[in-house]
Amino acid sequence: MASTPLLDRQFLEKLERLTIHWQKSFNGLVGGHNSSRFAGGGQEFLDHRHFHHGDDLRAVNWRAFLRLEKMFLKMFQVEPRVPVRMLLDTSQSMNSEGGFKFDYARKLAAALCYVGLVRLDTIALQPFGSRLGEGVQCGGGRHRLSPVIEYLTALKTEGRTSFLEIVRQFIAVHPQRGLLVIISDFLDDASCVKPLQYLADFGHELLLIQVWSEDDRTPPWVGELDLVDAETESRLQLQFDEAARESYTRAFDAYADELQQIALRNGGRYVGVSTGMPIEDIIFGSLVRSRVIA
Amino acid sequence: MYFLNLSLAQFLALFGTISVTMVLLYLLGRSRRKQVVATLRFWVAAEQPAVVKKRKRIQQPLSLILQLLSMLLLLLAIAQLRLGTPLDSPRNNVLILDTSAWMASTTGGRRTLMDEARDKARAYLKSVPASDRVMLVRADALTTPATAFESDRAKLEQAVAESGPGATALNLDHALAFAHQEQALGTHRIGEIVYVGPGRVATEPHSSVETPPKNLRVLPVADSVENCGLRKIGVRRSMKDPDVWDIFASVRNYGASPRAVTLGLRFGGSPAGLRRLIVPPRSEREAMFEYRTRSAGLLEANLLPHDGFPADDHAVLELPPQPSLNVVVYSNEPDLLRPVFTAIPRVHVIFRPTGEYQAGPMNELVILDRFQPPRPPVSNAIWIQPPAGASPIPVRARLEGVPFERWCADKPLCAGLRAKDLRLAATYVFEAAPDDVKIGQVQNGPVIVARTGKTKTVVFGFHPALSDLRYELATPLLFGNILRWMAPELFRRTAAAADSAGTVTTELDPDIRPEEVRVLEQDGTPAPFTTRGHTLRFFSGTPGTVRVLAADRETVYSLTLPEMWDTTWEVPPAVRRGIPAFRETISLSRDLWQALAILGGIGLLVEWLLFGRAEGRMRRLKARVAVLRPGVKKAS
Repeated sequence: MASTPLLDRQFLEKLERLTIHWQKSFNGLVGGHNSSRFAGGGQEFLDHRHFHHGDDLRAVNWRAFLRLEKMFLKMFQVEPRVPVRMLLDTSQSMNSEGGFKFDYARKLAAALCYVGLVRLDTIALQPFGSRLGEGVQCGGGRHRLSPVIEYLTALKTEGRTSFLEIVRQFIAVHPQRGLLVIISDFLDDASCVKPLQYLADFGHELLLIQVWSEDDRTPPWVGELDLVDAETESRLQLQFDEAARESYTRAFDAYADELQQIALRNGGRYVGVSTGMPIEDIIFGSLVRSRVIA
Repeated sequence: MYFLNLSLAQFLALFGTISVTMVLLYLLGRSRRKQVVATLRFWVAAEQPAVVKKRKRIQQPLSLILQLLSMLLLLLAIAQLRLGTPLDSPRNNVLILDTSAWMASTTGGRRTLMDEARDKARAYLKSVPASDRVMLVRADALTTPATAFESDRAKLEQAVAESGPGATALNLDHALAFAHQEQALGTHRIGEIVYVGPGRVATEPHSSVETPPKNLRVLPVADSVENCGLRKIGVRRSMKDPDVWDIFASVRNYGASPRAVTLGLRFGGSPAGLRRLIVPPRSEREAMFEYRTRSAGLLEANLLPHDGFPADDHAVLELPPQPSLNVVVYSNEPDLLRPVFTAIPRVHVIFRPTGEYQAGPMNELVILDRFQPPRPPVSNAIWIQPPAGASPIPVRARLEGVPFERWCADKPLCAGLRAKDLRLAATYVFEAAPDDVKIGQVQNGPVIVARTGKTKTVVFGFHPALSDLRYELATPLLFGNILRWMAPELFRRTAAAADSAGTVTTELDPDIRPEEVRVLEQDGTPAPFTTRGHTLRFFSGTPGTVRVLAADRETVYSLTLPEMWDTTWEVPPAVRRGIPAFRETISLSRDLWQALAILGGIGLLVEWLLFGRAEGRMRRLKARVAVLRPGVKKAS
């Protein structure tokens, strides 16, 4: 595979021994490495038709042949294959640190896609801001990573985040339940706890990866600040000092705890990722510890 | 308390500029900062008071004070604040040690003036404060720094010990100017210029010495030396007899009492002359000698008895050999040419019949009188009316009774020749090549031709002794010119002189053009020289031989005599003398810049730790630790 601008070759080689894991069983979401309670491969009888030369003899209804002395072929309905869905936040809030946070999130998404592709999983990657964007679906092996990389490289941050809206759209467009990976900073003015709960209630297994920069969690500035919201452009002037910084960090950590509880309470998982950490440490550290991949 | 590097005005200007810049940067850093953030929800949660309308400009006065104080300390360190007065700071002194040739003279016993000067220089080095820097300068005709400004006394004393008398006289003007310039360029305070020596200078001191620098100190060296020595020796060939050398010697008495000396000459180890001279004090006497020799050798001049300065009691000159030329005339009528060649000195003529012809050695001249040699000559040759088929220059025609038309112009071969109404009874006319010199011509072409090749050849189309030319003055002149052209060294006028090293000034002959002059060192390399009018000047700092070539003249200068002083420098009364007694107050002048620099650095470090970027870095580090810490951020 040719080297990509997002991930280098050595890093991809290290990813090849990993596998995406999920805890629930879903119709159509298959993978040799994940156990399922459903027997029969998920096929359902649909109709009969006449046998034609060359058809598979194993599908012939021999009972009907003994009874009618005519060969009929049983037809089964094949259930659609449900991919691992991944939502990537492309709102303006991801553009902090000169776009480094968004770049970090893209690399993380690309790495998870590659892990899935190596194990022949199907990955459906979809960006979101205030609405769901046009996504890309890939599967069939590691050599299908290039289109994903090109797609991720072309993504740009814009708009504001509205989790309620995108959850509504997501449930409407994708009725199949499955593993849902959300890579975002989860910074929505309206709380995103309720929309995430909707997704869990619908039956999705949530894997929340919260990406933050150091400035998001611990602002380095002191003194008089004139703050501008990156998404809404609303302003706030305040006096900021060490005590205020500690209050800020406590509020941020409380919000992260709330996200973690949502995920755990509904059988999902949560990983907090600081952009100050090398991405390799996150993949082989936090994500492996939380059994998202192994 | 004073600044070593900056004046007070410079210090205040610098500190003012830095302070204003720092305050501006501080106010800029503490101004309200516009910042784009990902969300405002946590800022609101921080529950901070709203910004007041009237905000304080100086919000962290301790930070500003710390910065200003630290910069003040650093600037004081750069300005090198010192305790004490400026007079106590280290100085740059220049020690001029006289290394002229006169310093080799002895005052009594075996101690020379140089030994006395070294002792005084060492005493001065011990007297100056330890922090003072001293540059040792050796001064004779040239000023040579032996050390840089040096505070290491061991190095300076070693340089003093290695200093010795040279071959030239002292140029004190140059030495003082050099010392003054070095002190002006130095960074330390200007100290003293100290001259150690007897003050015997080559020329009359200029105004700079008559009004010496105010910081000049003289450590005089007593030199009550009675000396009588050779001043100059000149040798040239006698105008009467070329085998005789005229020798001119000049003896000078530098002392205060008359001296009776004996001047003896030896050539090749054999006595060549002896003369007793009574030389009055501070005056010169000359002696003339004649010595006959044709061979080369060394001419030595000795002055007895020896005195306190023996270096100028002995001189050696190299006399060149008398050049000569062997001429072999192959002629069956030798009497025709005999008068022409016997009149030329330094030419040895041998007349042989044509039947005894031999192709002789290279260093002789062959004259072939109307015959064809079996083998051509290998040396320079003059062919006189050769047979038409044997002529080295092709014969165009044979003419009879033709008038001689003209001599060549602007050629050395034709110098002094004048044409008259001559008629040649019979002559060949030659087919000359473009590079040939057509010495004499008739209307139909050249009849005397000179050719330069591997050897030089002159061909006559007629016999000069058998034509009307035999009665003309042009005939011996023509042969003289031919010999000068073929063997120029034969006519070179050579002279020799024993002179002193240093600047040599000599007058050129009026007929010598300055562009013809060449001055060569002993090894043949060109030496620099100047000519003004007909005065030639060149310089040689060391004893040796210098050759001056000008046209056909050569003068060999044996610069073996030391250059002697001409006058004594009278030290002005205002000039300080003797070993000084410095106040040892240098220890009171203490350097504070190290402590100031350390304090300034500590101040900046403290400010940085309390208010600077270190706070942000520590915060980031804590955040990373929090990420790795199992607990709050641990994934499910």
